Parts: sequence; C-alpha cells; structure tokens
Amino acid sequence: MSDAQSAGAVQSPAAATAPVAEAPAQPSGESENVTPAAADSGPKKMSAAELKKQKQAEKQARRAQTKAAVPAQSQQNGPKSQPKDNIPRPMPIRTRPSQTNEPMPKEVKREPKKPSPKKTQSLFFGHLINQPRQHSMVGASKDVHPAVLALGLQYSSYTICGSTARMVAMLIAFKAVIESYQTPPGNSLARHLTSHHLSPQIDYLRSCRPLSITMGNAIRWLKDVIIKIDPSTPEADAKRDLVTEIDDFIRDRVTVADKLIAENGFKKIEKGDVVLTYASSSIVEKTLVRAHKEGIPFTVIVVDSKPLFEGKQLARKLSDQGLSVKYLLITSASHAVKQATKVLLGAHAMMSNGRLYSRVGTAIVSMLAHAQTLPVIVLCESVKFTERVALDSIVGNELAPADEILSESERKALLPLKDHLPDSLLRKLGEKEAEGPRKPKTGEVMKWIEGSDNLQMLQILYDVTPAEYINLVITEYGSLPPSSVPVVHRLSTDKW
Amino acid sequence: MAQGATVVTTPGLTSFLKSLKTTPADPSVDYLIALLKRRQIRSSRPCAIATTALLLRVVGEFKGRDAAKLVQRIRDVGRLLVAAQPREVVVGNIVRRVLGLVREVVDENMDSDTNVTNETEAGSQPEASSPRRPVLSSSISTFSPLHYAVAEPMHSSFQSEATFDSADLSRRPPLTASHTTSLGHSLFGLFSHPETPSASNTPTGQQSPTGKGLTTLNLERLADFNKSNVNVDLKAEVQDGIKELQDELEQSDELIAANALEHIHANEIILTHTASTSVQKFLLAAARKRKFTVVHAETHPLDHTATYGMALTGKKREHTPSDEEETWKPLIAAGIEVYVIPDSHVFAIMSRVNKVILATHTVLANGGLVAASGAAMIAKAAKEHQTPVVVVSGVYKLSPVYPFDIADLIEYGDAGSVVPYDDGDFVDKVDVEAPLFDYVPADLVDLYITNLGGHAPSFLYRIVADHYRTEDITL
Repeated sequence: MSDAQSAGAVQSPAAATAPVAEAPAQPSGESENVTPAAADSGPKKMSAAELKKQKQAEKQARRAQTKAAVPAQSQQNGPKSQPKDNIPRPMPIRTRPSQTNEPMPKEVKREPKKPSPKKTQSLFFGHLINQPRQHSMVGASKDVHPAVLALGLQYSSYTICGSTARMVAMLIAFKAVIESYQTPPGNSLARHLTSHHLSPQIDYLRSCRPLSITMGNAIRWLKDVIIKIDPSTPEADAKRDLVTEIDDFIRDRVTVADKLIAENGFKKIEKGDVVLTYASSSIVEKTLVRAHKEGIPFTVIVVDSKPLFEGKQLARKLSDQGLSVKYLLITSASHAVKQATKVLLGAHAMMSNGRLYSRVGTAIVSMLAHAQTLPVIVLCESVKFTERVALDSIVGNELAPADEILSESERKALLPLKDHLPDSLLRKLGEKEAEGPRKPKTGEVMKWIEGSDNLQMLQILYDVTPAEYINLVITEYGSLPPSSVPVVHRLSTDKW
Repeated sequence: MAQGATVVTTPGLTSFLKSLKTTPADPSVDYLIALLKRRQIRSSRPCAIATTALLLRVVGEFKGRDAAKLVQRIRDVGRLLVAAQPREVVVGNIVRRVLGLVREVVDENMDSDTNVTNETEAGSQPEASSPRRPVLSSSISTFSPLHYAVAEPMHSSFQSEATFDSADLSRRPPLTASHTTSLGHSLFGLFSHPETPSASNTPTGQQSPTGKGLTTLNLERLADFNKSNVNVDLKAEVQDGIKELQDELEQSDELIAANALEHIHANEIILTHTASTSVQKFLLAAARKRKFTVVHAETHPLDHTATYGMALTGKKREHTPSDEEETWKPLIAAGIEVYVIPDSHVFAIMSRVNKVILATHTVLANGGLVAASGAAMIAKAAKEHQTPVVVVSGVYKLSPVYPFDIADLIEYGDAGSVVPYDDGDFVDKVDVEAPLFDYVPADLVDLYITNLGGHAPSFLYRIVADHYRTEDITL
C-alpha cells in the first residue's frame, strides 16, 4: 500500500505542475499575507539603497577575495570541501552507505556572544544559551538583502512561525536575493554566490532565530543546486534557472506534498471521530478542512499552550470553516485525550531515529494518547526529515527568551505582589527610596524576576517525542511507521 | 492560619471565622453553605478550617446529653455542607472525623463500664481481644476496605501529633494505645485479611443497605450509652477532640516537612507544580540543610499567578498582611534555585528530574488523588521516565470516598481564564474548557507523605480505616 501511494506521490507533482505558479498559495496561515510582501517590497521599494549596498558589497567582496586569494582557492578545489560557513551539506556523491548517516556537526555560532549580564546558569540548558536572538537589524552585515532583513525580524517576532512557513518565506526571499545578485568580474556564479552572497544572509537569519531543520535542508539543497551550475552558463540564464528551481522546489516539496498528505490524511478521519491536535500545524489544518469539505462528520479538540497560543489561530480558522471545535490548554491535556479518538500532529522535523521533533508539549499529548491506545498520526512533508538523531529534548533545542512566558495580563495580575516582595530585592532595584503611592507598572514584574537571585524562567520551543508513541507518519511518499523515516529521507535526498 | 480572603471586607474564611464568634450555629451553617456555594471558601485547607470551627460551635450549642441526637445533629449539618459543595471532599472528611470522635467517646465509656481497666487504656485493650469482633465484621462484610474500622476499632489519632517525635511518625499512632498494641493490631489485621475480598480492588457500593442497617444498629448503641452513662461530659470531650483536630490541621504542614530530609538529597532536581503551602514548607525544610534545584511548572491558567507569587515572595497572592504571624521565606531566599517553566515543558525536562513532588486537593481511599489540573500529565510523564512521584498531603485530605466516577470529582473552572471573554468571536464559536482538577490514578504515585509519615499508595486504605468509622462513610 505504501508503495502504491509513494508511486502516486512521485507522479503527481509532474501532473500538478501547471496550476502551481507562484510558490505556495498558503505555505502556512501566518505567513500567507506576509511573505509576498516581504519578497516584493525588498527589491521594489529599496532598489536605490539596495544598489548602493550591492556595489559596496561587491567592492568588499573583491577586496576580500584578493586578500584571501589563497584560502579561497583551496576552498574550491573539490566538490567535497565544505564552504567556510560551517553549514553541512549532504555528500554530493554517496560513497558508502555508512557514511551518509554520519551525524551533522552541530551548527555553532561563530562569534562567541558575551555572556548575558543576567544570570548565566540555566539549568541544563547552558549549552543553548549562546543561541542569539536578535530583534532589530542593528548590526546586520551590510551585505544582507532588505528582503532578508525584513524576514529576519518576522522570524524573531514569530510573525512567521512554523518550520514550513519559515522555509518557504526564506526561499522566496532568496529568490529576490538571487535576482538582484551580480557576479563580480573574475568569479563564477557557482563559486561566488553561495559563499559570498548567500552566507551573510543565512548568518543574519540565524542571528534572528536559529534555523529550522527545514531551512537547513532547503539551504543545503540550494547550495547543491548552485554548485552544480555549469560555469559556462550565462549569468542571466543561471539566475533564471535558479529562480525556477526554487519555485519548483517549493511546489514539489511543499505545495503538492501538502495536497497529497491532506489527501492521504483525511481518509484516516472517520465518521464520528474526535480528532485531537496540539498547537497549530498548517498541514493538520489542511487535512481537517479537507475532511470537513468531504462531508465527514467529526469534531476537533485543539490543545494549546503558553506562550505562543498557536492553537488559538487554528481553532479560530477551523471554527470559521464550520467545524465544531473544543479548545483546552495543555494542563487539561489528560481530559482532552479522554474525549478524543485520534490524534493528528504536525511536525517541526522527523529525526532519523523515528522521533518527532515538534512544538514543546507535543510529547505530552502523544504520551497521554499512547497510554490510552489512541492512534497518533504525524503529518509531515519529507522536507522535514533530517538525518539528525536525538534521544531527549535537551541536547538539541531552541532556547527562547524567558520573558515571553509572561503575557501583559499575567504581569498585571502579579502586580499586587509588590507589597510582599523582600526588601532586599526592592533595594537592589533601587525602589525602596522612591517608594510612593505611584502605581507599579507591568514592566516591573520582569525586573523583579530578573532581580531575584536564584529565580529564573525557562522557555524552550521544542521537545522530542519518542518513536513508540507514534503510530503512523503520513508523508507525500505515503504512510509509514516512524522507523521508516531514515529510509524515506535517504530516498528523498537522493532525488535532489 | 487564616487564608483565603483578599480583603477583610470580602466574605471568605477570615470573615467567616470572625462572624462565628458572635453568630449562633444555625445562621453560621447557612453562612458557610453560602460561602461554599459561592466558592468564596475554596481549596482544602480553608474548607477544613471552616468546617472544624463550625462544628465546634455546633457541638458547643448542643443541648442535652443524648449521644445519638448529637450524632444526628452533626450528621445533618454535615449533609448540608457536603451538598453545598460536594467536590470539596475535605468538608465531608472533617464531618466524618467529628462523628468518629463522638462515637469514640461513647465507645470509651461503654468499655469503661464493662471493664475495670483504667480509663486511658480502655479504648484499645478490650477491643483488641476478640470476642466482639466477629459479630461486627460479619454485619458489614460487603464494604471491604473499611470494615477494618469495625473489625478492629482503632481510635483515630486526633491527638496532637506534636507529641510524637519524627521517629514515631513512620507509624500511625492510634490514640491512647501504646505502640506495641498498635503493632499487634495491624498484624492481626494482616492475618485476617485473606478472609475478605482485597481491599484495593473491591470498591463495592457504599450505599448498600448493610451500611444503613449498621447505622441504626449503632444508633442503638448510642442510645444505650445514654442510659448507662450519666457522669460523662460528652460535649466537653467531643469539643476537646475537635480542638485537637484543629491542632492537627495547623501542624500538619510542619509534620510533613519534618520528613523532608529523608526524601531530598543534595543537588537533586525536583519538579513540582502549582502553589501549595505544604510543598513549599516541605522544600523549605530540606533547603535548610541541603542544596537542590526546583523546577516549578506554573500551572497556567488557573494557578500561575499564585505560582509566581510563591516563587517570588513565598506566599500566594491572596495572603493578606494580617496573616503574617507565620512568615516564611521564599525558596529562592533559602538559596534554592527555582526555575519556573510553562507546563508544556514537563515532558522535555522530565528526563533530568530526580523527583516529582505533587500537591493535592484530595487523596482517595484507593490511593489515587485529585489535584490541580496538570498533575495527571506530570505524574504520567514521570512514570514514563521512571521518576518517583511523591505526593505531599495532610491526613485531613485523605478521604474514605472511592472514585466510582472520576468525572464526578472534577470541577470545571472559569473558561475566561483560558480565552478571555473579550475575544467574543472565538468564545462564541469554540467550546473552551478549563477543568480545575485532574485525577491521578494510584499506580502513578510512588509515595505519599502525610503528617503521619510516608506511606505506599496501597496502604492508604488502612489509614482511612484508622481515621473514619464505617458507620460514617455514608453521611
């Protein structure tokens, strides 16, 4: 059955080529009205500034090149040599099967951030603390394209959130980057574009928020495509080819893949089912809407969690479609699971050991569902598959700023605590003297928490769900058990 | 010990206790019913304090020497209170224990009539001898876990536990009985165990006719007591008992905390949730000697404000400055690192956690518990990671109720705390739920720590038997 389905998956992208023109219509809810703007506004509005920037960049690049002629040369003498930026790419030639599975080196940030003036210890997440999180374009390298600058801010503010949406938005921005790129004289596009023009963009994006697995996959694919460009191709043609390649990638790996997954996924929903989902996933949304359009009577339970409340958006969208939706928070997960008959989950990534890397809290929901022998189904495009493996949620994760945990209203609710705060803390914050009848402001709450020794808040973004909690992974290649993830990953990367 | 009222003007525990001094019993009963119904007194401890205070008043105003009538009166008040807020199981617990007090006084005096032994030993000695036992146990063979209360009528330990040192706490000291006899009792109980269906898995209906028959049987006994005892001041003895119960409520946190060092080792990582005074004091007691790390799940949306209050100041927000006779520091001031995490992080963190300490709302006789929502997923995640789960609870929260229908015990709270009502569009279309409690089955719990010491969940039925009379299970 899985064979037949995967065969269908391979064929249908070709069949569906025609209607898919401009990237994904909706790569994900959040990004749909944002990404085109980001992509368009860049080149059009700021073209003057951009040109200037471009020239400067070129000048700099030329200077850099002459200076570092030797290392640059040595860097280019083989397809196997990695570019400087330390982003791993798949081996172009598959030598031995054992080698392809070798774990990627963890992406390390180059310049060591100076330890934050705040408390440095962070339970056992100290290794993640150097992950940068930039909320402004101050200090961004001047090579960074305006479209990418805007995108980075959207990443760091969670305006564009969700691994597929982030990847698609990035590729669209890269299209603009490539279109405005000009190879400096004496260089070939294939050699120069990746290392000198794309890398600063990627570094900037990474400084806004650590790259998602899908973004890493897409970047690796893009670099691979670029390096394979015949140096004799005229620059204009090469650029045009690249842009179409990117469009095709988005179409094949996301748009059509989503359609296929929704097509396969909705068949799993039966009459009278109560489908539980956690947080928000664009592909789960599509599947549920598809099933609803198909006329299957079922209800949905959305379980959600602080601080992003992504599930709220999903619940809103689904109820707008006319579905009957129930909304609970993760603390009530055990109640929610009791009422459910099926669990559909989205993914951030599928690890090669069959574990699901997804929004923090997913593991709890799947654990509870597994305990009740509910089927747990993961909907996941194969672009989210990674050769990385993980045992727990601690080694590889993304640390988010802790102050996001407390929303404005929650801070307000904490204000009456002020009378009870220890004097030492108030003195430390310099408030004891200025004591008056003035009303405390909500911003102070974070200061109290930061000011208190030993007290910290902690927020990570993902967790790892053990493979045994997952019954089925639906991809565009068909439905498979989590143990087949590495096989499919191998298949899909070979095709690139 | 007063808690629960934000301002003196809002009705709550403090205002109730104040009014109780001047108001007669009947209006006070009505007042407490109203407060319970309006959730102005909520959560276990305030409910327990209010109920004991009220019953003290009720007993104090009781006229006459008729034990049966006193039992009837307490039972009537108890029924009203329980009906007002059935999910505050603690109210029923306290009523049952006061009823048990009355019966104990009756029993003691009956025995002292028939036996010539001195009064203090009268309670336990004659009953340890078998003659009366078979008769009684046969009369209620259906309700198995609690028939021990009759098969072996040990007295509730209403006395102040302060008299026991921590070494004794691991045992359950029955009132007036020496420790050796108590050991004899439990061994005796063990041997007689196989005759009856297993205690933990036979939650048969407690509203069985036998129970009622027993009640009448017992009332006859109480009536007998009436005739035979003229010189016993029933009222005064019961009042003393209730005062001891109040002491127990007051001291239970300290007694629980006395166990802390036996359970927390150096550099441990401990996960807890919600804002609980018992857990806080437990951890503080350990913090005096040892360094460890606390990971605190904030229990959004129902308790997170109190959780942050607890972490920052050591007190829940509701505490008024007037309660400050017993101030205690927050854990962070004791040099303990506290990490507040959103509840969704529990599974991710659990693999590094050494111990989970849960606060509870009610402990049930089968070893399961009802706790703030989120407890079930924490306990389950701990089980999946083989992390021990310790539940900290005063004995007064231990209820003889069996969870026949779990859904009955779960109260649903304000959905506006999940999605604010100003998001009218959303609230209109989407069904938002906010359960206040979770039921945690007994197999997810590894250890209970009460003011009597540590117990396995499977042993709790025995403590229930020590504290409640079978006759009173059905109020």
